[in-house]
Amino acid sequence: MTTYILRRLVLMLPVAFLVTVGVFMLIHLTPGDPALIVLGEDRSPQAIAQIHQELGLDRPLYTQYFIWLGRVVHGDWGRSITTHEPVAAAITERLPATVELGFVALIWSLLVAIPLGTIAAVRRGSVVDKVATGITVAGVSVPNFFIGIVLIFTLSVSARLFPFGGYVPFFQDPWESLRHVALPAIALGTAGTAINMRFTRSSMIEVLGHDYIRTARAKGASWRRVVFIHALKNALIPVVTIVGLQIGGIIEGAVVTETVFTWPGVGRLAVESIFNRDYTVVQGVVLLAAFSYMVANLIVDLVYGWLDPRISYA
Amino acid sequence: MRRVGVGLTCFLLLAACGGGGGGGGNQSGGAPKNGGTATIALESELRTLDPMDSSLLVEREVFYNMYDSLFTIDPSLAIKPGLVKSWDVSDPLNYKFTLQTGVKYHDGTAFSGQSVKANIERYKNGATSRRKSDLASVKSVEVVDDGHVTFHLSTQNATLLATLVDRAGMMLSMDAVAKGGANFSLAPVGAGSGPFEFVEWKRNDHLTLKKNSSYWRAGLPHLDGLTYRAIPDVNAILAALKTGDIDIARTIAAKDVASLKADTSFVYHDVPAIGFNGFELNAGAAPFNDPAKRQAVAMAVDRYSILKNINFNIGVVAYGPIPPSSWAFDGSEKIYDHADAAKAKSTATGFTFTFKTTSDPVNQQAAQLIQSELAQAGITMQIQTEEFATYQQECANHQFQACNVNWSGRIDPDGNMYAWWHTGGDFNDSAYTNSQVDGWLDDARLSADQGKRKLDYANAQKQIVKDAPYVFTSFGVSAQISNNKVHNFTLYPDLMIRMAEVWKG
Repeated sequence: MTTYILRRLVLMLPVAFLVTVGVFMLIHLTPGDPALIVLGEDRSPQAIAQIHQELGLDRPLYTQYFIWLGRVVHGDWGRSITTHEPVAAAITERLPATVELGFVALIWSLLVAIPLGTIAAVRRGSVVDKVATGITVAGVSVPNFFIGIVLIFTLSVSARLFPFGGYVPFFQDPWESLRHVALPAIALGTAGTAINMRFTRSSMIEVLGHDYIRTARAKGASWRRVVFIHALKNALIPVVTIVGLQIGGIIEGAVVTETVFTWPGVGRLAVESIFNRDYTVVQGVVLLAAFSYMVANLIVDLVYGWLDPRISYA
Repeated sequence: MRRVGVGLTCFLLLAACGGGGGGGGNQSGGAPKNGGTATIALESELRTLDPMDSSLLVEREVFYNMYDSLFTIDPSLAIKPGLVKSWDVSDPLNYKFTLQTGVKYHDGTAFSGQSVKANIERYKNGATSRRKSDLASVKSVEVVDDGHVTFHLSTQNATLLATLVDRAGMMLSMDAVAKGGANFSLAPVGAGSGPFEFVEWKRNDHLTLKKNSSYWRAGLPHLDGLTYRAIPDVNAILAALKTGDIDIARTIAAKDVASLKADTSFVYHDVPAIGFNGFELNAGAAPFNDPAKRQAVAMAVDRYSILKNINFNIGVVAYGPIPPSSWAFDGSEKIYDHADAAKAKSTATGFTFTFKTTSDPVNQQAAQLIQSELAQAGITMQIQTEEFATYQQECANHQFQACNVNWSGRIDPDGNMYAWWHTGGDFNDSAYTNSQVDGWLDDARLSADQGKRKLDYANAQKQIVKDAPYVFTSFGVSAQISNNKVHNFTLYPDLMIRMAEVWKG
């Protein structure tokens, strides 16, 4: 197992290298000059040249890349072009907000998806199944920014049940924190809810048709025990896969939701940095997002072993 | 103040928020009450809290409540004492300033002549300073004694006092700057001497200031603190105002102004601002290197229609770069008062050009309206929508035929004209050049006689408008947009929200 994990970690390095090359090229080849963004209404040819020199933008692109890579390898992610804030600090400062949002969205998604998906599978063709299918279609069809706007105007602006935007750290004030995170978490988690419900349902239907379920019933186990103990654990393997990818994609998913709800997380940082051509921050965020995906994939693979002992990592 | 915030903000917000006439703010509401805090929306996130590095309007909005400047303005834009108590500028190359006494920075160190010298030298020489061009005419600062300094100028500069109202004149504790080190711009603890002092800045979330209990202006401020929240969407700002999550906003979408005015829970007032809205025509390349084609476009554009349909009649029609709020405003300048398609046709017709703008919906609507107006004069305008940074770069590098760029404005008319239309000016994207205009603008910059300056600007404006390197459409407004608990709010045309005298009740 340890060898397997180490091998996977080593294999991440070339992937990470390719990601950094790709991101570096994309962001630098996108039109737009960070000097103009930084200077705004204070621009002058002298000031623009000064910033190009400060940032090394007057050097060949490959030189800029290897200078940046050399620093990253030594643990220095550089400073933001627009705010001069250390990139690592900029990300770690905003990470708790994104993690909290992503975590609550995921919990919300699973709390709704697994029971509904299970019931829909057990009672195929029933009203519950049809409602669940309807929710699935709607959940994946409606973009989360639209869900966010609807939630803001109904539950926040009109009903005044939830505050608009703002972030309160959970350990500072748990109740206020949950009030603030509720709407963005619902908006962010809705698509995941729909997908997870769909996966739970189809996987559950498949598992319920297996011989060992019939055997369990024949041995006298209650239907509830069969469904929740014998079937559900096995049915969750594909759900774990998709949830793993959802965890890895928290930053990606949060980009839109955090912007709509003015949530001070990494997603919003990424959006602002892209618009501002803040190369160092964009590269930092994308590198983090890539690592999140890779680590989440590794964890998913490890969880398989726990869910299904037949899978081994020799 | 982002010039190119342009398309993004102006047609949308400023211009949109422009106009109306309004009531002038200053809703006193009885005797001031001390205590409480106010939350203010910023339409974009700050990048720095150091005036030396700053380039955004939202940053200045915070600075005016945290730092004191050498000079201030009143709502009529007249220069008033700030940290400079009185001044003698009779010698145009040696400005003598008498400083306020008893002023302390938030870290407890004293404001003095030495402090003024150190600040100006930091702005002039700092490696990342964006204030160098502001202070280019200042050769040196001589400390006469703790209470007096003399600014020695290398060239005459009639705009210097107005420049020292803004960031180049904001005084910081050099001890605090040294202590802050590389992170000073993110956490300027104890650096200002203004009514509120820095507490914390959680980027993308909030910035907190607390009352400066030792503020040198007696009895101020009234509020215990301020919280700024960056909400980069006008609809979200309005939502936050309605839910009570913010108390004050600087801007909302023009379409929402009427409904907000009708709601007694909120206050909306506006006064003319100092910027202008419109679009640049590139005089350095075809087709607009032909002055007749530029003039034809200027003639065919119906400014009243834009004001009504895009800006919801908030703001006023613009004929030139100097707005009604300025002492240099020339109300007689109306050569393109009404759209005249026939005259435009007889001037130049049958050509095609591309109009660059951003994806902002209001900018899009404005572009489509202009497109339809020009079509009536036989001019084909193609709209090219670009992402902001791309569009900004292409406009700044003269890679355009027409570009929708607005200007947030400067207190002195020089700031609304010199960089834009003087040959080789920093914002002369249009590559416009006219030796007469250069002469008037140079003369106005050097002259201390305001009457003469006004005449220079009027002459320059007439020529610029006639030559049409820029088609002026509207002047925006500076607005109070708040809930009705906010009192004693004074509106300034420079769009800054000054909170020292504001109270909540």
